[in-house]
Amino acid sequence: MADNDIKTTEGQGYSRRQFFAGLGGVGVGALLGGFVVKGFIVPEQVMALPASEGYLLVDTKKCAGCDTCMLTCSMVHHGRVNPALSRIQVTKNPFGKFPYDMEQVQCRQCPAPACVEACPTGANHVSEENGNVRMVDESKCVGCERCVYACPFTPSRMQWNHEDKHAQKCDLCANTPYWNEEGGPGGKQACIESCPMRAISYTTDVPVQQEWGYMANLRNHHWGWLSLDTTDFGKEADFELPTNPVPPAAAPAE
Amino acid sequence: MATGGYVGKILYVNLTDKTTEEIPTSQYEEWGGGYGIGQALFWDRVPDKTIDGFDPANMVSFMTSPMCGTGAPSATGRTEVTGIGIQQYPIGWFTRSNFGGRWSAMLKYAGYDGVAVQGASDTPVWINIVNGKVTFEDATGLWGLDTHETQEEIWKIVTGNVDFRDWWDADSTRDSGRTTAKPAVVCIGPAGEAQTRNACLLHDSGNGGGQGGFGGILGAKNLKAISCIGTGSVPVADPAALMDIRLELKEVHGYNVDDPKVEQPLTGQGTSLFGINTNQPGYAHLLWTANQPARPQGCMGCFKNCRMNFASGLANGDICVEGLFWAASGDLNEQMAAITLLDRLGINAYDLINGHSYLHSLYKMGILGPGKEIHSELPWEEYATYGFIEKLLHAIADGTDIGADLQDGVTRAAVKWGRYEEDIASGLLNRPQWGFQEHYDPRLEVEWSYGSLFGDRDINEHGVNWWVHWMPLVTAALGVPAHFSAERMVELLAEATGVGDPDGWDYSEEGIYADPKLKAVAWHRHYGRFWLQSMLLCDWAWPQLASVNTEDNKGATPEYEIRMYKAVTGKDITYEESLEMGRRIWNLGRAIWTLQGRHRDMEVFSGYVYDVPTTAPYFLPVKENGEWKYGICLDRTLDREKFEDTKTRFYALEGWATDSGWPTRAGLGELGLDHVADELEKNGKLGA
Ligand code: SF4
Ligand code: SF4
Ligand code: SF4
Repeated sequence: MADNDIKTTEGQGYSRRQFFAGLGGVGVGALLGGFVVKGFIVPEQVMALPASEGYLLVDTKKCAGCDTCMLTCSMVHHGRVNPALSRIQVTKNPFGKFPYDMEQVQCRQCPAPACVEACPTGANHVSEENGNVRMVDESKCVGCERCVYACPFTPSRMQWNHEDKHAQKCDLCANTPYWNEEGGPGGKQACIESCPMRAISYTTDVPVQQEWGYMANLRNHHWGWLSLDTTDFGKEADFELPTNPVPPAAAPAE
Repeated sequence: MATGGYVGKILYVNLTDKTTEEIPTSQYEEWGGGYGIGQALFWDRVPDKTIDGFDPANMVSFMTSPMCGTGAPSATGRTEVTGIGIQQYPIGWFTRSNFGGRWSAMLKYAGYDGVAVQGASDTPVWINIVNGKVTFEDATGLWGLDTHETQEEIWKIVTGNVDFRDWWDADSTRDSGRTTAKPAVVCIGPAGEAQTRNACLLHDSGNGGGQGGFGGILGAKNLKAISCIGTGSVPVADPAALMDIRLELKEVHGYNVDDPKVEQPLTGQGTSLFGINTNQPGYAHLLWTANQPARPQGCMGCFKNCRMNFASGLANGDICVEGLFWAASGDLNEQMAAITLLDRLGINAYDLINGHSYLHSLYKMGILGPGKEIHSELPWEEYATYGFIEKLLHAIADGTDIGADLQDGVTRAAVKWGRYEEDIASGLLNRPQWGFQEHYDPRLEVEWSYGSLFGDRDINEHGVNWWVHWMPLVTAALGVPAHFSAERMVELLAEATGVGDPDGWDYSEEGIYADPKLKAVAWHRHYGRFWLQSMLLCDWAWPQLASVNTEDNKGATPEYEIRMYKAVTGKDITYEESLEMGRRIWNLGRAIWTLQGRHRDMEVFSGYVYDVPTTAPYFLPVKENGEWKYGICLDRTLDREKFEDTKTRFYALEGWATDSGWPTRAGLGELGLDHVADELEKNGKLGA
């Protein structure tokens, strides 16, 4: 085994580069005290948790904001529809300027998951039977919501299910009683399958992360053929706005 | 299986005394949802159907359907608005409008299947709905704000300074849930406040409800906005089946953005026209594509996502005639700015899309302008610039210059100026019925025009039109072969609609008056009333009568509608039964219009439809000497006598009296509407 590979208890290795790339995604500002220090100083403790065998990869520039992923995520898990219970969230400003107008925010199945770490009962755990996805055993959840506040991302990818009274998170669809397909790592994911823009995909490698999310461009030339934006990663405006869109005003014209 | 799709209560609001009431939805479930329920509520709660639309007793309903909020494909986010209109001429019929986005879904997450508003407030108010809690809020501070500002202000009031990317706690308790969404707000702009007849409702960025003049009606009620936000669930009878439908529809009929089966032949700044038949994303502007970085944008639960959001943030989410507004400028950036201003002021794009060119014609004729018969000091010599349209739109919103007359809509302004009779006879003002702008040619594409005339407004239902008109037109314009032959087209339509007879889609000189055509017209009304207006399937997506994505070109209709309905509600109905429900809803409407003064004698088109022949090629399937082809239908008019005879046969087909066009006891009785027959009889308006 190469020097820069870190061995996990499960025997799956992944590289230091991947690990730090994963951590990097948390962003310095968002890192929560104890967790960071622990993460860096005693990596073997963190590494005691095997990596998830799968990750959602979202392309925020390909998303059309139809919320279909949210509707189906809640439906296959709960048998009823409720975006507030969706484990993927699509945040939007209808008046915003592309690409700052919307994005999907999804659980990253962190290599060092603060949510799992925070759980006092082991309800929030790494599920060996389900490809090491980080998931909540609802029967063990005591409702302390520590995991909800531990997830370092905004918005928190951990949720308090206010209707059924337990914490929940993306399980890569491992526990989807209202779907005729097998979910979980190795199976299918409702958000991926239902997205009409094919803006969510699945990867088995820890994706390279940026502060705002994974780098992913799932758009090919067919997308460009529709006059839609095919440019690469990053949210910096790489485009100069037309000089003559007269800003509409509510005030009466002169 | 339990009934799904409804959350159980309709909110009734009396603005006059600021009281509310909850009506169990189950009392109205027989009407489906949307228009069906809105109309039934109106029937029950507005005893005098002859009141004016501005009358406080007019009831405006904002209704959802069982599909709303569920993820039913392209049927999740639309809201149906009903009430007595103020836009139609000469009488403001009981009418409807409908807007997309996410408002109806959010209303259900907030605990209601609909909101019905009656009365009028003496001071400006807005209604604030948060998880089943309803409050009347002072709108004095919002009065005068445009539609975008109004929504942003309400977001701040309801959800504080929570960032767009963060959770908002619906209440202080952890049992009320959290959402990352902002409140869904439907509101009016300055044009609505001024009670103009062409003011629209607006929600989020580009979702407008224009026809009928509901913006002006809300203005008269002093109601600036209805906001809702909630974290509740919508029950679905068979979630696994609904999921299967979604995935199958995407696979079989959806546009695969990574590897499309049929791709448009042009790219770049060209046209999006091909999207009409392919289900491709971002095609909503039809005649133009993005000139700047853009993404597709869709209503909640859509499987097509026809609109776009742009790097400039202008014209986000706009579609169809909004998106085509002010093409006169010839400069896309100016056009996008004009569209955004139109949205912000809350003006109905459809009244002005050709209205401004009509006004310009009057200017060129020396009738309108400074010191002319119709005095106007707007910069007419700068027509086709952004500067001009900006001033015209503000004049309408503010009631200055000719805006004072145009606040009554272009049609009534023409009446006031003494131009109406002459201009609808010549077609200079091409408004075939009830004062609505011509949409598709009333001499040719007759299920559109007959349906509009026998109804209350421009019907605006594209399911047939995308295929019979646009498909041959687009493919010819882009120089590619038609996706399939005219013969195959009419076969597909006959089968998918259930009409059975391909001659229903013969647009030849004879075909448009023949009995099969009348069956197609009746099907159109019944399908529209149930599936589009009551189940709130988007008319840009449904019905799907044919497809370019399947080998045999068969579309998703009617199989998917029935499956969606069953998966969501748990109720097993046949397609025929659904059409029968549509016929029932359509007939209750006919009774309301009859009480409002409708009579056979009024159901005639404007003169130009009969007297001025078509001059431009207009593609439609025609049968000539037993052979089907796509005709160009030049030099055609509607024949007065033949149309009158057609009208008689259509009335008979619908069970209406042929001399008056009024519903009969037998016809209504068959639909279980005996109480409606009683009411007509009481008013001396029962057809015999
Ligand atoms: S389903 Fe796809 S396009 Fe729609 S909101 Fe989700 S990620 Fe975006
Ligand atoms: S919930 Fe948050 S902390 Fe936990 S795995 Fe997902 S992203 Fe990481
Ligand atoms: S993978 Fe499954 S659980 Fe995770 S966000 Fe997607 S639909 Fe929800």
